[in-house]
Amino acid sequence: MNAQNSRWKRQKSLKKAVRFALALLLTAFFLAPVYWIFITALKSPEEIFAVPAVWFPEQLHFENFTSMFSAGELKPIFNSLLVATFSTLLALAVGTLAAYSLARYRTGGRALAVWIISLRMLPPIALAFPLFLFFAMLGWVDTYHGLILLYAAINLPYVIWVMRGFVEDVPLELEESAAIDGASRWQILWYVVFPLVRMGMLATGVFAFIYAMNEFAFAVVLTRVDVLTFTVKISHYFGNQTTSWAWIAGLAVLGSLPVFIAVLVMQRYLVRGMSMGAIKG
Amino acid sequence: MKNGRLNRTLIRNNMKSSTGGGAGDRRFQYLALSPAIVLLLLIGAFPVIYNLVLSFQSQTMLDPDTSFAGLANYQELLSDNRFWGAISHTLIIAGFALPVQLVLGLLMAHLFVGELPGKRLFIALLILPVVIAPVVAGAAWRLFLDNSFGPVNAIISWFAGGPVKLLWTVDPTLVYPTIIIVEVWQHTPFVFLLSLAALLAVDRSQVEAAQIDGASGWTVFWWITLPAIMPVLGMVMLIRFIDIMRIFEMVLSLTEGGPGTRTETLSLYTYTTGFKDFSLSYTGAIAFVTIIMMSVVLWVILGRMERGR
Amino acid sequence: MNKAKRLCAIACLAVVATWLTTAQAQPSAAQTAIEAAKQYSGSTINVVWPAGVGALGQKVFAAPLFEQLTGVKVNIVEAPPTDVYIKVVAEHRAGTGGFDVVSLVPSWLTDLSIAGIIEPLDELVDKYGFAAELQGIEPAYRNNWMTHGGKIMAIPDDGDVLLLFYRKDLFNDPANKEAFKAKYGYELAVPTTWEQFSDIGWFFTNTYQPDLYGASVIHRSGLMQYFFQERFRNAGGRFFDVDSMDAQINDEIGVKVATQLQDEAEFMPPGSENWNPVEVLTAWLSGRVAMITWWPPPGRWSEGYGTDNEALKWVPESQIKGKVGYALSPGGNPELALGWSLAVSSNSRNKELAYLYIQWVNSEEISLQRVQLPYSLRDPFRASHFESAEYRSRWDNADEYLDVLRQGAQIGMLDLSIRNTFQYEEALARAMQRLMAGEDPQEVMNEAAANWDKVTRRTGVDKQRAAYEEWAAKPNAYPQ
Repeated sequence: MNAQNSRWKRQKSLKKAVRFALALLLTAFFLAPVYWIFITALKSPEEIFAVPAVWFPEQLHFENFTSMFSAGELKPIFNSLLVATFSTLLALAVGTLAAYSLARYRTGGRALAVWIISLRMLPPIALAFPLFLFFAMLGWVDTYHGLILLYAAINLPYVIWVMRGFVEDVPLELEESAAIDGASRWQILWYVVFPLVRMGMLATGVFAFIYAMNEFAFAVVLTRVDVLTFTVKISHYFGNQTTSWAWIAGLAVLGSLPVFIAVLVMQRYLVRGMSMGAIKG
Repeated sequence: MKNGRLNRTLIRNNMKSSTGGGAGDRRFQYLALSPAIVLLLLIGAFPVIYNLVLSFQSQTMLDPDTSFAGLANYQELLSDNRFWGAISHTLIIAGFALPVQLVLGLLMAHLFVGELPGKRLFIALLILPVVIAPVVAGAAWRLFLDNSFGPVNAIISWFAGGPVKLLWTVDPTLVYPTIIIVEVWQHTPFVFLLSLAALLAVDRSQVEAAQIDGASGWTVFWWITLPAIMPVLGMVMLIRFIDIMRIFEMVLSLTEGGPGTRTETLSLYTYTTGFKDFSLSYTGAIAFVTIIMMSVVLWVILGRMERGR
Repeated sequence: MNKAKRLCAIACLAVVATWLTTAQAQPSAAQTAIEAAKQYSGSTINVVWPAGVGALGQKVFAAPLFEQLTGVKVNIVEAPPTDVYIKVVAEHRAGTGGFDVVSLVPSWLTDLSIAGIIEPLDELVDKYGFAAELQGIEPAYRNNWMTHGGKIMAIPDDGDVLLLFYRKDLFNDPANKEAFKAKYGYELAVPTTWEQFSDIGWFFTNTYQPDLYGASVIHRSGLMQYFFQERFRNAGGRFFDVDSMDAQINDEIGVKVATQLQDEAEFMPPGSENWNPVEVLTAWLSGRVAMITWWPPPGRWSEGYGTDNEALKWVPESQIKGKVGYALSPGGNPELALGWSLAVSSNSRNKELAYLYIQWVNSEEISLQRVQLPYSLRDPFRASHFESAEYRSRWDNADEYLDVLRQGAQIGMLDLSIRNTFQYEEALARAMQRLMAGEDPQEVMNEAAANWDKVTRRTGVDKQRAAYEEWAAKPNAYPQ
């Protein structure tokens, strides 16, 4: 009995070790390209083009970043952050209101809800050219407000869809008792609902922010100079006669870091955010 | 979840009775929604209609000719091999990447269901590819797979015991595997994370009861676990399918649609006709057809999902 | 610090120049431009420039100096070279008047002129007395890149020409000479035909690989198509049949050139099938290839001229100083590929000022300084540049370098420039990509020709014939 038990235990721990090794291997596979782009940003020009490839540079070179900074190449990072932040705030404000209306009144019924989420799934490039002509007419091409409004609109379906779930989670009784106490709709929204969905908004906001940071198709058509985002700037480097991988990697690192940090901080809400609210993690 | 459903059946009556129903409430209902609708029309109605209008003209970026051109653009579209090629290229990527992502993601989720040291850290790291910008993912892999300066071929050469030349982003036989590998790499963690959440939510008592009855692991998975996680898997598949159908910048930074137009996806082709050929009206026709095709698929699937909600 | 010093030196130079010109009574074009621009002090102009290091010549040198001299703020707007066209056209369509000075590749001249995106400059050239100095621009650039429909539309600003750089030490090595002659039956010397280029390439690869390969050329599709254009015409090819306007790039000559381009990749470094300029340059500077064809800048960087500059940090240190020889690319007439001109945007709200800036940067005085900036990527294009004693003493064999450049400028050929040129280039670029992927040259060129015909039909055969005939009549369109 005892011997069997210990063998069973040994087998179990062996199994666990194998699983751990597998997990380690998988993580290595999924992180390797990320590591490569990060380490490339920290290599010297000779090391980037070394044959065979250098896994660990002898010394970390931060000159790539400083030379990008002094050449004024970092403005796209600032643009991306700015546009992503403000479009997210706008989408959250407008979207949460709409989500409340949808959740509590079922405004527009199923058709409206389906229409809204279907917008999230249209191919951006198919919308970009009419918007380019429209923006050209308004003088909005390559402006912050143009891109902020557009990104807010693009994120809106997602925000509405997820926030609808968070609003539904708010116990109706709380709203009812506030209403009985004579609170107006707006007061209920502000004093009862908002504090309870705040974390939900934060989680939703993180995903809207990531989407806006990473967006490319609209930005490539609708920005030229002033509002160039970092994803478009990276694609520009591919077309250049002279720029090196160091700058592509440098920009990639700086553009990815805010997103990585946001995700690590919001770990708890990842599942719910990614499943568009379908799984309440 | 259950609570939510219970609530909704009460919503109408409750809300109305507690506030006296009436016009004020209705005004609030629409007032709260209206800013969102205005913004949504900007992307949801205007461009669609404008694409349609454009497609009946022969505008180019250099020549703003708005005269009526009839169905010429649609006629050209029907016989445009590059357009149909672009659709099939996109479907090829979806056809291979989607099943691989799904199976790999599920297997990974299975690996992580039980206890594992450092589980939280693993998950945190595994999720990073998902949130990387696709243009960065493409750039990273292009460098990673470079024949001379990338580590992958160096490793393969080491195993092979001699220099191996594999032109991942150039060789016609390798470009699709490359794109599919990168797509699988970037989004398997997404499948993994959601599957894991779904697996963890499966009712353990049912599984245990089946195990006591002597059911094998496979039987349990097929008859109990899979049906339980099916709704989540269905949604995961939908999201991935839609995303792959509009795949764009990742391919752009990997192969630029090449060699030739061999890996040109629907989005890449739309971009080329619009911003390199400058044929705005033709682009409008392509975009309109694309939107209609995608919308039909979406409305059918989403309508069904929303009904089940 | 460096910058302040340079500015100081330039200011001194300007003073001397002023003194010289006042002494001569006739003010220089630069001086005229500065005097006239002063009345716009306080305003701003936007100048579109190809992005990257090249733009630093503007951002670090020209723009600040102009502001200092006139009080006009010059804002440099960057776009990647191949995207400049897209940006300029899109900006014109957006109509925001965001660009005042436009950079353009001369092959876009036809399209930009016809669409009315750039302004005729004849009146302004007369008004500000620039005609005399325009005569100082090398004839090939002046006669081909400047006018459309008989009007001055753009001012040539960059003497681009494709060159062959080769390693003198390897070519002069007695052992190599002997072995080469034994194998190929003729002397090892700088190749003048592509067949020789191929022999020599194979010879070096077989002798030295994997440490060194015979040659490397840019295979990035958008740039490689220039090599095809050059070699196709040198071999006797004609782009179109003038009567039918059918594309002829898939004829016997076209397929032969395509096959050569494909075969040559065999002796180049493994994996170089998708190399960008930077990878080719890196292999060259680190001494891993015996020959490259490139635009002029590697000639300067090979000697380490200016590469200690912060802006050129990305250029790997040259291992081949003093070992570099220069020649025209084999086959006869090198292509004046790319090249940049300057024009005034028709949407500009300040066309006169935009023109004055062009006249100033392009003038004898300022352009001579610009083509000597290590990071400007602008190559000599005026007689005075090629003859400059200062430039000729920049490094040991700088005089050879300038002589070869000038020779190229004299016999170089133009990029195809007709209506919708961009679409023809795009189709050709895709064909190059397929060649590098190892696909059948005949099939590849057939498809490219079919795509050309499609663009021609869409453009209108008669319209295109007229544009093609105007272009083909230019002295440097085809080898004479």
